[in-house]
Amino acid sequence: MSKKQTNDNSDRYKGEAGNFQSLESDDGPGPMKSIEGWIVIVKGIHEEAQEDDVFDAFSKYGPIKNLHLNLDRRTGFVKGYALVEFNEYQHASDAINAINKSEGICGKKVQVDWAFKKPPKKGALKQTKKQ
Amino acid sequence: MQVNSNEEFYLRYYVGHKGVYGHEFLEFEFRNDGRLRYANNSNYKQDVLIRKECFVSEAVITEIKRIIEDSEIIKENDSKWPAPDKIGRQELEIKLGNNHISFTTSKLGSIQDVQNSQDPDGLRVFFYLVQDLKCFVFSIISLHFRIKPVN
Repeated sequence: MSKKQTNDNSDRYKGEAGNFQSLESDDGPGPMKSIEGWIVIVKGIHEEAQEDDVFDAFSKYGPIKNLHLNLDRRTGFVKGYALVEFNEYQHASDAINAINKSEGICGKKVQVDWAFKKPPKKGALKQTKKQ
Repeated sequence: MQVNSNEEFYLRYYVGHKGVYGHEFLEFEFRNDGRLRYANNSNYKQDVLIRKECFVSEAVITEIKRIIEDSEIIKENDSKWPAPDKIGRQELEIKLGNNHISFTTSKLGSIQDVQNSQDPDGLRVFFYLVQDLKCFVFSIISLHFRIKPVN
């Protein structure tokens, strides 16, 4: 459990500024829907992979709303992860299951999982480790 | 790299300054339970106060940890880094297992500021790690909430 942040700028989160907005969810646990879709994270992506490679691999399972394949700011190669957004839960779920079992992207196996989860239940003593 | 979901993990990054337009800053914080808090204060032209919170999956947390470990920032120290000044300040606090770092330095405009410092190698690690983390957080926040974070 992290201790409360102590710094000399207590004005950062005074009053209204201390209200952090979040999306509504029903009782957990499980993956969390984002504002307009379902987002998965892809890890272990080949350094030289292009957006098209990720797009082609994932669009087999449904229309893709958004794709972020971020670059390493120093090398210019891909950092190794991507975030892919589907409109539909089922498409995202199918992609997770299938692509984890497949030979991956650019011949390198990747790991796919949900990116967001519902908040842990209030008053729970332990975090649920499994989503 | 061994991933231990039971080990302690905490990450906080802050960059900001106080000036004519008030306290302008960007700050984000990850906790081990997946809670991500993102705050963006910009008073230029019109007040923009963004406070967002979400819970990322363990898969995201382990990727953040991987990025931090690959950077080897844990080996650095800020003793020779430029002190915060009127132009601004950056803070990076990380707890990863038994390691805990807490760095404070000035804003770094470009890689030139890094080259000109007394510890270019260490500061370079910081410089690029911060960019990579910001990139990740901006993607997470903008996708989840459909907003464009102000850089």
